Amino acid sequence: MGTVLNEYRKPHCAASNLLETALGRIKLKTPLTVASGTFDLENLEFYDPACLGAFVTKTITRHPKQGNPPPRLYETEAGLINSIGLQNPGLDSFVAERLPLYRAKLRMPLVVSFSGSTLEEFSEILAVLEGCEGIAGYEVNVSCPNVENEGIAFGVDPDTVYKLTNRLARATSRELCVKLSPNVSDIGAVAQAAESAGATSLALINTLWGMAIDPMTGKCRIQKGIGGYSGIGIKPVALALTYKAAQAVSIPIVAMGGIYDWKDAMEFFWAGASAIALGTAHFVNPLAAPELIMGLAEYLLQRDMPLSAIIGKCK
Amino acid sequence: MIEPTANYYQRAIHSREELSGSYFILWIWDDVLGRICKAGQFFEIRPMSKLQNAFSTRAIPKLFKPISIYDNQGGRIGFMIKKVGSGTNALSTLKAGDTLELIGPAGNGFPLVNSRKILLVSGGIGYPPLWFLQKELINHNQIYWMHGGNTQADIFPSDESWTVDGSLGRRGLVTQGVEANISRLNIDLIYSCGPISMLAQIAGMAKRMGVEHYTSLEAYMACGIGVCHGCAVPIGTEAKWDYLRVCKEGPVFNAEEVRWEQF
Repeated sequence: MGTVLNEYRKPHCAASNLLETALGRIKLKTPLTVASGTFDLENLEFYDPACLGAFVTKTITRHPKQGNPPPRLYETEAGLINSIGLQNPGLDSFVAERLPLYRAKLRMPLVVSFSGSTLEEFSEILAVLEGCEGIAGYEVNVSCPNVENEGIAFGVDPDTVYKLTNRLARATSRELCVKLSPNVSDIGAVAQAAESAGATSLALINTLWGMAIDPMTGKCRIQKGIGGYSGIGIKPVALALTYKAAQAVSIPIVAMGGIYDWKDAMEFFWAGASAIALGTAHFVNPLAAPELIMGLAEYLLQRDMPLSAIIGKCK
Repeated sequence: MIEPTANYYQRAIHSREELSGSYFILWIWDDVLGRICKAGQFFEIRPMSKLQNAFSTRAIPKLFKPISIYDNQGGRIGFMIKKVGSGTNALSTLKAGDTLELIGPAGNGFPLVNSRKILLVSGGIGYPPLWFLQKELINHNQIYWMHGGNTQADIFPSDESWTVDGSLGRRGLVTQGVEANISRLNIDLIYSCGPISMLAQIAGMAKRMGVEHYTSLEAYMACGIGVCHGCAVPIGTEAKWDYLRVCKEGPVFNAEEVRWEQF
């Protein structure tokens, strides 16, 4: 059924080698990836998967996580607040059930996102994944705002980021991408800590702290009160942090935060991102990915210019 | 693993039908979709939106809204909608010829049965999925339908109507008449859809009286295809339950497995 309708789903996008980019050790046919937790195989029913350069899984943890109580979502004037709480079936189930499915269905580099509550737990997950084939790299999620003592507890302190990244870098030769939080005082220091510890790329930003309250009753829209704010409203913040991080490090950055279309993406490339990811955009435009790649390809083709010519070149 | 079936479509609205109060129906025609849509399933829908036109905050593209299938016959698919918020207000501006964006059909649908004595209970905008359901069941089962709402504008065809203000049918909440009807009609199966408090009460009655009960739940939703885990509800036994997705494992659940106390 997925192939029946609508020619606009076939962007013929990956044809252009002007779109090629790299994320540390992974070559990407297009600079477009997906924000962890906003995208899965179901989305690939909507269009030609060739517009994606890599596939990033939802974050997994050592043990299954039930997630946060509902309501978990609230759409604001400009963007979305979520409080999923890293709900996932855990490492063992991922390796036994999801991973074979990804390997069978995906024709692009697979990046597995994971998080932990102790340094040992991060190491343990990595050790298990190192034993699995078909994984191109890892996204180390140290920035989820919706779980306590996990993720973000590691991502806000440069020393902790260094210790964790160093430990993981010594245990793998695969791509090691550290996903950073915007909820820090100095993103440059955290980015440098990750780089000097051996990260081969950075992903940023995760969601901002966000909150919404029913003005008539005072009831929080999200059950846990505060959640993670994403979407169009956070784009200027994400852009500034991408620029700052790109100034601070020389490893490639996959940028995300409020990117809805190809012009948004262009801003992030100028600011220093080597690749970008769509997150909330998937929810408000199911065809965001092919449309973005078509726009980007057209811009580059008209100028016969590779993407690499504009990365970090903002004036 | 449930194989993905939902897809993305753009379809012209064939016609629009005004109902009482703030209710209306949007009709589309699609033979292929009509053949695969099951009672209890829904679509995520939205007026066609293009970011290029976003010169005002009003035009910032917003989430799709989950709307259950009200009717589906011969390729004619209807969405009965009540204006309750910004998403449904945007849908209410649509007219024949406008384009609807759809993601679906989504969710599991109601289990279909034969030779049963069935009670349907709906509250307010819980009515539409049960309309589609009763059409699927009516030739093979005995059906009695109770429907309730705040006022007469919330009332649609059924066997027994209840309004909170007494403006039509019996005065009170539809739940007040459920136990009596279960006994009187020897009901052995209940399907329900409506506000969560109503569903929880009916679930309690059904459990006490030993009647099988399937209920269709609603949740705030982002993706509609099982990806984001935003629409999770607590499902399982008292000792062991998990957050399942209304859009994927639901929206129809065995009411006995819904952990009502966790809401």
